[in-house]
Parts: sequence; C-alpha cells; structure tokens
Amino acid sequence: MDDKNLFQVNKNPIFRTRVPVLALLMPLFLSLFSPMAQFSVEVQAQENPAGVSPEDIWSQDYINQVFPWGQHGNPDLTQFRDYYDYFSMKERMQTLAAYYPEFLQFHEGLLGGVNARGVQMTLDDYKGWHYNHPSPWIKITGNVQGGDYNPFNDDDGNYADRPDVMLVGNHHAREWMSYEVPMFFLETVAHYYGKAGIDNDGDGLVDEDGWDGIDNDGDCLSLNSSNQDSNNDGNPCGPGDLGVDEDFSEQFITDMVNTREIYLIPMLNVDGNRYDREVFCGEEAYDGCDSNSPGWRKNLRDNTVTGFTPIPDTDEEVNDGCDGVDLNRNYQFEWGLLIGVTPVPGVCTFGDPDVAQTYPGPLDTVDNDGDGRVNEDHVDGVDDDGDGLVDEDWIGGNSEPETKFIQDLTEMNDDDGDGASDFKSTLSWHSYSELVLWPWGHCNDCVTTDDEYLVYHGNKMGEMTDYEPMQSSDLYATQGDFCDWHYGVHQSYCYTIEIGNNFHEQPEDIAHISVRNLGVPFYMLEIADDPRYRAIVGIENTTNSQYLEAPEDVTIPSSGEIPIGLCLDQTFPFTPDVNKTHLMWRFVEPTRQQDDFGPTEWVSVPWSRAQFNDTNQDCLLKDNSNGTRVEANIPIPDNLVGKIQYKAMLGTINGAFPFTYPTVEDGGNYYEIFLPYRANFGSAILSVLMFLIIASFVWGGLGFSLSQMFSEDEKVLGMPDSELED
Amino acid sequence: MNPQSESSSDEFSGRLGLIFATIGAAIGTGNIWRFPRMVGANGGGSFLIPWLIFLFLWSIPLIIAEFALGKRSRVGTVGTFRIFAGKKFAWMGLWTAWISTAIGFYYAVVTGWCINYFQTAIRGGLGSEVDTTEVWNNFLQSPEQVIFFQAIAVLITMAAIWGGAKAIEKANVTLMVSLFILLFTALFLAFVMDFRDGSLDGFVYMFSIQPEYLLEPETWINGLSQSAWSCSAGMGMAITYSVYMRKDEDTTLNAATMCFANNSISIIAGLTVMMAVFSVADDPLGAVSGGSSAITFLVLPEVFAQAPGGPVVQLLMVTVFFLALSFAALTSMISTVELCVRNFVDHGYDRSKSVGLTTLAIFLFGLPSAMIWIKVDSSTGVAFPEFLEVQDHIWGYGLMFSGLFIAYTIWKYGWNRYQNWRVENDIDEFDFRDYLDYGVSGFRDDFINTGDNDWWIGRWWDYIMYLGFPIMFSVLMLSYFTDLLANVDDPWNPANPHGISIILLFWGITATLFIGFNKFLVSRPLYRNVPEGAQVPIDMLPGGSDSLVLEVGDNPNHNVDSKNQKNIKQIDTIIDAEVA
Repeated sequence: MDDKNLFQVNKNPIFRTRVPVLALLMPLFLSLFSPMAQFSVEVQAQENPAGVSPEDIWSQDYINQVFPWGQHGNPDLTQFRDYYDYFSMKERMQTLAAYYPEFLQFHEGLLGGVNARGVQMTLDDYKGWHYNHPSPWIKITGNVQGGDYNPFNDDDGNYADRPDVMLVGNHHAREWMSYEVPMFFLETVAHYYGKAGIDNDGDGLVDEDGWDGIDNDGDCLSLNSSNQDSNNDGNPCGPGDLGVDEDFSEQFITDMVNTREIYLIPMLNVDGNRYDREVFCGEEAYDGCDSNSPGWRKNLRDNTVTGFTPIPDTDEEVNDGCDGVDLNRNYQFEWGLLIGVTPVPGVCTFGDPDVAQTYPGPLDTVDNDGDGRVNEDHVDGVDDDGDGLVDEDWIGGNSEPETKFIQDLTEMNDDDGDGASDFKSTLSWHSYSELVLWPWGHCNDCVTTDDEYLVYHGNKMGEMTDYEPMQSSDLYATQGDFCDWHYGVHQSYCYTIEIGNNFHEQPEDIAHISVRNLGVPFYMLEIADDPRYRAIVGIENTTNSQYLEAPEDVTIPSSGEIPIGLCLDQTFPFTPDVNKTHLMWRFVEPTRQQDDFGPTEWVSVPWSRAQFNDTNQDCLLKDNSNGTRVEANIPIPDNLVGKIQYKAMLGTINGAFPFTYPTVEDGGNYYEIFLPYRANFGSAILSVLMFLIIASFVWGGLGFSLSQMFSEDEKVLGMPDSELED
Repeated sequence: MNPQSESSSDEFSGRLGLIFATIGAAIGTGNIWRFPRMVGANGGGSFLIPWLIFLFLWSIPLIIAEFALGKRSRVGTVGTFRIFAGKKFAWMGLWTAWISTAIGFYYAVVTGWCINYFQTAIRGGLGSEVDTTEVWNNFLQSPEQVIFFQAIAVLITMAAIWGGAKAIEKANVTLMVSLFILLFTALFLAFVMDFRDGSLDGFVYMFSIQPEYLLEPETWINGLSQSAWSCSAGMGMAITYSVYMRKDEDTTLNAATMCFANNSISIIAGLTVMMAVFSVADDPLGAVSGGSSAITFLVLPEVFAQAPGGPVVQLLMVTVFFLALSFAALTSMISTVELCVRNFVDHGYDRSKSVGLTTLAIFLFGLPSAMIWIKVDSSTGVAFPEFLEVQDHIWGYGLMFSGLFIAYTIWKYGWNRYQNWRVENDIDEFDFRDYLDYGVSGFRDDFINTGDNDWWIGRWWDYIMYLGFPIMFSVLMLSYFTDLLANVDDPWNPANPHGISIILLFWGITATLFIGFNKFLVSRPLYRNVPEGAQVPIDMLPGGSDSLVLEVGDNPNHNVDSKNQKNIKQIDTIIDAEVA
C-alpha cells in the first residue's frame, strides 16, 4: 500500500493534516508573545565606534530610562515620557495606594472638624473654588494602617515617635515639573520599599552610587565624552546624567519609610493646574502657551476686576486678569507687605501683570481672637500689641482652600501632643531656575537663627542637584510663602526647590529632570528627625568618621557567634536603647527550590537585631582620631551556608534616628559576608557505611535486575504461590 | 514501493536495545548538575534517603505503568491515551507530547551549551587562567554562537533518529557506553583530587546524614522532585520506546533496571562533582548548593582546572566531563524528539518528513530561548537566559500533569473493568470489595502481570497508583506554588514571567486548545506498530472499539468487522454512560 493511500480516507486532507500541527504550535506562539507585554519599549542600540559606550556597562533599560515600575498603567505617564493631568495623576496615586496598602494611604483634602484655631471645617472648605477638587495626597509610612487614627485629617499611621515630613508640589499651576517630580518620588518609594540590594543600572554592582551629585563609581566618567552629558545641560557627568547617582540604596528608602511619616501632596493647586492645562495653555503648553503669558500661576479665586476687596463670585467665568490668588504669597507669616512694589494689602492691581500674578489674597476682616479689635497682631512671631498672645489676629493670608488645607494638615497633626507641629522638615517644589532656597524670604539682608544649619543642608541639596543654593530673599523678597510660614511659625526646616529651566518642560525632559531631583526629598526625609543636629554632626563630620566593620575586616570564628565591630566617636551621644541602637542582621541562603536556569534565588527573611556591647577597646576613626569599639554578636549555627547581611542603626540620646552604617557614602545598603560551612563534614566511618547502604541498594539493585533479566530460568520474581497455582 | 513491505513494524533488535534507549532518555544533564546541587543544599546523606525512597514510590511504579501502556497500545502518547482512556481523552496524550516537545525547544539550546563547552575545553579554552564567568557571559551573550551549537545539537539528534528504532538504539548504545566510561574516568580523577588533601571530605559530606534535615519537609519534597524528573517518569518517553519493543518482552524489570541505572549514574556524577569541588573550593558547599545549573559552567571548569597531575590531566578532566555532559544531554534530546515524531508517524505521516519537521520546529522554537532576554544577574554579574528560564518555569511542572494523566488512565481502566464485570455478572449494586478485586487490580492483572514478565508486581503497586500518587502529586504542586507565593514578588501579575498567573494562563490555554482539538485528533486513523505474532488485543479498552485504530499496513476501509464493531460499540456506550 502506498503512503498516499493513507490519506484517501480523509475527505479534506489539507484541513486534517494541518490541525494537529497547529494544535502543537499554538501554545508556543502564545508563549513567545505574552510575556513581552512588559517589554513594551523597543530598545534601540546606539552605535559608538570607539571608547566605552553606555551599552558596555549598563542595562538597556537603564540607558533608555525605562523605569522598573508601571506595568499596569499608561506607560507614557508612568515612565515619565508625558505629563500626568490631575485625573490621571490621582488615579495613579490611588492605584499605587491600593497596590501597596501596607505603606501608602491615599487621601483627598481633610475630613474636618474644629481646627487648631477653633474654626469648624468640613471637606468642602478644602475644595478648590472653581472645579471643586480637594488636593489629593498620600500618606507614606511603614504599617500605614496601624498607629493612631487622626479624626481631623482622617489618616491612619500616626506614630508619636516618627518625625513628620511634608512634601508639597505645584503651588503654582503652570509649574508642571513640580508635580511630576513628586510623582517620580512616589513611584520610587512604592517600587523599592521593602527591597534591597538591587542593581539599578545593570552594571553588576549594587548600591554603588547614591544621591550626592557625584559619579561615585566613575562609570559616567569612563564613557567616551560624547556620552557623558546625557541630559544635555552642558555639565558632563553632573546630576541628571546617566551614571550619576544611579544606584542608590533601596534599604535606605525602606528605612526612611519605616521611621518617618511622609505627607506627599504632589498637586496642591488642582484648580489652577486644570485651568492651565484645559483652558489657559492647553495640553501641549510646552510648545508655547499664551504669547503674553507663560502660563497660569494662581489658584482660581474669582475676584472682581477693580473692587477694593475682591469678592468671590463663583458664577463668573475665570478672568485672566485679577482672578486667582498666588498661593505661595498667601501664607500668614508676614503676609501681604510686599517689599519694593508695596501695593495696598488685599488689592489686586489690575493691569500690572507682574503684581497681579502675585496677588496674595484678600484682607482679613475678622476679629480672629474676639477681643473687639481687628488685625491687631500680625503673624510675625512677635507680640505686636503686647497682650501676651503672639500673632493672634492676623491681617490676612491662609484664605484659600489650598492654604487652609496646608495650615490644618500642619496644625492638626500633633501626634506626640506637645502642642507644636510635628513637621520638622518641609519641602516645596517649584519651577524654574535651578535653585535651592531657604528662609527667610520676607526680608532683605536678614538671616534666621538657624542660618548656619539651613545653609549646610541647602548646600548639600545644591550639590546633589547642581542647583544654586541661596537664601530665598537673595533671589527676591517674597512675603507669605510656604517656607517662611513653616519655618517662622512652626520651626520647620523648609526648602524650596526651583526645578529646571521652564514652566512647561518638553515631555522628553521630564524623566531626566525627575532623576536629577530625586535625591532631594530623600535628603529631607533623612534630616527630619532632628535637622539641626544633623547639620551639626554633618558640619563636624562626626558621623562620617565612624564606621561599621566591613566584610573584609570581619573575622568569622571557626564556630559560634560572629562578632561585628562598630567604631564610634567618643563624643557621639548614642543611646544604649536597643530599639534605636542595634546591629540589624539576617541570614540569607539560596532557596531550596531553585529555577534550573536562572540566577540564584535567595530566601527573603526578616531582619533580626543584636545589641551593641562595649568592648573597652579603642579603635581608629576614619579621621585617625581615637574612637570606642562596640561589638554585636550574630548568633548563627555552624552548619549553615549562605550570606549574612548586616548594618548598624544608631539613635542619639537627643532623639535623632537613624544614623545608619554603612553610610550612604559607603554604599548605604548593608554589608554582606559569605558564611562558609563551619561544622564537621561528618564521620568518615559512618559515611562509608551509608555509602555501602546506598550503593548496595542502587548498584546492587541494578546488578540484580540485570542478572534477572538475562537469566535463563523461568522463575517470576515475587510471584506469590497462589498465583502459580492458577 | 511500499515502505511497510520489508517489515510491517519498526522494532529494537533486542531487550538491551530498549534498555539502553530508555536509560539514555532518563539520564540527562539533571543527573550531572542538578543532583549534586540537591545533595549540597539538602544536607548531604540526608537527601539520599528521600531520594531513594521516592525512587520506589514514584519513579519505578510510574515507569512500569508507562511500559505496560505502550507495550499494549503500540502507539505514541496521543494514541495511547486515545486507546486506553477513550476517544475523549486523546488530548491528554497531546499534552504529554507537548510538554516533552516544549521542554525540547530549550533543551536543545542547553545541549548546545554542553557541546560548546566540550569544544572549548578540548581547545584548551577552560584552563586555570581563564575567568569562567567571562567565558560564560561572552558565550551566552553572542547569539550566533549559541544558535550554532544549538543547531549542531539538533542536527545530531535528527541524524540519530532518522532511521527509526534501530538507529536510535545504535546511537544510544554508543553514547551511553561512552558516557559510562567518561564518567568513571572523571570519577577516578576526582577521587584522586579529593584524596590528595588527606581527607575525602566530598565523599564524607555526601554520605553523612544530618538528622535535622530529615525533619524538614523541603528535603523530602526535593527528594521527590529530583526522583520524578531525573527518571523522566510520566514524560511519556517509556510509552514511546516500548512501541518498538519486540513481542512478549518483559516490561517490569525494564522499569527497575532503567531507574536503578539512572540513580547509579547520579551517584557517580554526584560523587565526581562533590569530590572535585570539595578538594579545591574554599567554600565547597556554597559553590555546590548556591544556585542554578549555570554554576556547572562557572564552578566546575574552575575546579577541574586545578586538578593535580598538570595541564594534561586538567585538560583531560574538563574535556571528559563536558563530553559526558553532552552525551547525557543528547540521549535525552533524542527521546524528546522521538516522542514527538512517533505521534506523527502513528497518524500516518511519513517518518522522514516527521523527523525533518519536528527537528526544524525544535530548532526554530528554541531560537528565542537561545537569543532573547539574555540578562545579567545583578548580584553576581553572571549572564542568564531569562526566556529559557521562563520556559522552564512554565513547562517544567507541566510534566507532573502528564504523570497524573497516566494515573488517571489506570484509574479509568480499573473502573471500566469493574463496570464490565458487573454487566457480565448481572450485579447492580456497587460493592467496594468487588471493586478492589475486579477493578483496582485490573490494570495490573491484564497488562503488567501478563505472564511474560520476570517480576510479578503485587498489590503495592495499586496502592501507590491509587493512593500514593495523588498525594505525592498534590504535595509537589502545593509546595511549588507555596514556594512561588513566598519567594516571588508580585506572583499574581500575569506580566511577571516568574509568577503564578503566567503558568496557570499557559497551562489553561494549552489544555483548552488541546481539548478543543481532541475531535480532530480522533477523526484520524491511528496505525499501531504491532510486531509480527504479538498478541496485543485492545478490544477490552475504552478506545478499543474505534474503527479508525488500525495496525501499520492496514487499510482503514477494510479489516473492520462491522458486526463485531456494533457489539463493542454497545458496551462502549454503556461504559461511557457509567463514567459520565
């Protein structure tokens, strides 16, 4: 019979022959394409004829600034290739909060109640005049569902021992980068919290280049010069360039989130922002807004054009002239008294666009303290009327829903009940000019009492971003801004960052500008425990001369506990409280069920703590002065093989916490030491015995079954006699 | 010219041929690199205990079942399930074939790695002065090299199976005998290495029981999974090779021989690796237990390069090892391709065409594993093929289902047989005792203890197939998914290639498609490879009444007794109704 005959039975041979083939192939096609969803970005290799090119050292994702998050969202937005608007930003915040409920909690405005000034507030009081949105914000802290509940702010995760940090973006509507940078910060925190030891740039090193504005590992500097200035700002291997501060410590992020309460308000001025995007400039404002105006700045308070006291008139269309209040002139501290131009407080001078742009809001007409007099004690930290009360009857300011929101969030968030604001450090993002600013803003040729320390931190953040650090008023005087109020009224170390070089940056610049500005909010988190003390030890270089024993200096004893030393400055006021000062360590071993072809997978285990004990030994600090050696012991059985990861956390008796070692300069993450097998391998005699047992089972079994197979007898192994009889 | 005129069936020359072929299929790279890693990670001698126990509880019983199925059905996996489980279940055979083939796609790439390392070694490229990580990364990151050696692996495989059973036998005998010699050479060299430093600590560790490991469930689960994968039990390979069995051959001892041989090689390879690593590495356990198979290509060349006896011995050692590895991989590759080819031939396709198309497909669909998503592990700087890893992640555990389907077939046969017995004896009531006597033991009585066997299989086998197997299957699956949940970030995200959703998605899609294609499968004639004079009736089987099930050389239009078929069909309907 011919082969072809076989097919004659088939009525439709082509159909029948193809179906099983297709059946076999379909799953394969699917398996080829589906996981590619996450690699939506087409990677384009650059050609570099000579020298070190980015491809030689980094991953394609890093080179193309493909961020490791946002697989579910709109990739243009989550990858910072295009601007969020209010709605997409809010949705993204909600998505992240839903995805990471353990440390993110989404909010809009405040629930209200009686505020610190005795005024009954409701959620409606925090909604923008025109579009009626309360400002969205996210509470970030470890175990955000736990801690105390604050009924006014309606947030959980309030811990008396965690310092609070407020990070605010977009006071000014047209400054679009000032909400993109906070969103970039949020994505970074959301993605990296709880992770550690990630190689962000794919060069095989971990946490080798943290936020300081310097190419610590020299990878950018090793590129050929055409690749060194990837952000085209004219500064090769400066902040924002590929290879600079690209591999920060994820452990540091986790530590910060676990020890601080972070209030992130990426877009304070929702009203203004919507107006700027939807009406005034349009979606593509970066390609040119109104020829007379670079964009909408203020909120959308509806002022009459010429009236002495503008009266809200919410039915009216927005008037481009005098409508709106400059939120960053509306805070109460030294409100209204503009230096230089000096218009009448509470009057919008129509026709002078510069002055109209900074209209600080209406005059206050209320007797705030109920003493029968009006505006007799201006908010300036001085008891102007000598009645024993300070700043109790203000002239104006905090009149807007947005500034009221900041006011009450600040004043109603007193977790430790000491009557003062918990916000020790605050940050306000603006654009543009590439500046780092600190108080004062309201006066010329004046300095704060904390000037030395404010300058120290300001310079640090200036180095980090390559932005120019200066006192706010050295740029120009500003009354009633966020930072003067926070510092002047609540003693919070407050900084204003002027991002970039445009109000509406080109979309392709969002990502690298965000990268350049990422270190700043983390710096603000770090100093939030005690900004003044942080500046003091920073200036004296105390903490940087102390060190934790590096893996190469640790001696692993042949059995028993492993001692890890820490060399401390004798003057460093560390607390012996083990909750603050301790060695964090964990033993990490390969999982027992490894994928056969991937990299080693490690079991993730929680950290343990070991107390530091005094050894009465001296040690040499990094600055070559004498220090005290303290030691912690890691208890670990001898027969374990794997890695020990360790780092030190220190708290001071004055409450600053944590100082971590290794420091950010050292890599910031943790040290890792390979732990060899230290126990006996076993007894020679017993192992020979075991070998004989196993060998006789396996090789004996093989020999026996082979011999049975080829034996000539007819016997059937194991057949019961009963079967034989059948 | 009629291709079937010389001999209507294709068969091995003798029992030894079958043994060598099945041993070749069972012994793969897993014996050589996965086994030592498991020993290292699971407490040395403590691991050997579960590993040995599950040889008897999982591997041997399942292989016995496979041999019995294939010997009677005389067709590959699709046909075997069609005949034994009934027309509705041919897709189970397709699943089994698919899993094996899908593994083959990337296994060809892995085989190519081994061949490349052999040729690098023999050219002196793995000496003590080279940075093995660099060698590995350079190789893996140049797709043209990986593809070249993948192509070589595929071509060798194609050549080996082109000529059918006889050729497969020849290739396997040659490769296996060489493998034994090579491994013993390597073992001797490793022994000398380990002995020179005064203590056989590799040997001692491998055979020392650390009692605390025996109390950990991971040790037992790893023992089970190593035993399950290493012997290729459930893969359908034994079904396929037993198609070429001559008539009246014993199957039960074959299963035992094959599994013992597999484990013997594991011990030899394990000892070789352990002794070599322990003799030179500073942290031998860290080196041997710390991670994936790629360690083989990083640690072992480094270790062998330090063998005593100078450069010649070192070259010999590393060359011998990677040649052995290549041979082990190639014989497994041969069984994988043959498993797929057999199914095409069963359905009337020309063998040469089937071989050509299957190997071409294996080459083409292996390309992504060879060249895309070649990543570098951030903590070690070692390159790894992520696409390949994902494929392994998805299809590796699919193998467990193939085993489950085999068990299902046996359960179904037992139930059908009990129902038939009730019809014959006019018994209406269900009686558990009768079910045990006439149902549960049915498969064993009818197909295993046929009278040709050298080893009589007792009731223990029924216990394992009916009770032990579902328990072991569930434990394996549960532990796998629990491990994924515990150690994988974001396991439910379908875009996460290492997550759970993606596995379930692919399994679901594959199973759904195959079930959908079932009716097309069973509408084709099936040609059984029945040796002359063999008594292999199938009319008592659920799929036995299928008029399209023929013997090689039959014409589908004749040879079917229509009256007889009608009777069988009636019984079949009764059975199907009962089962439903």
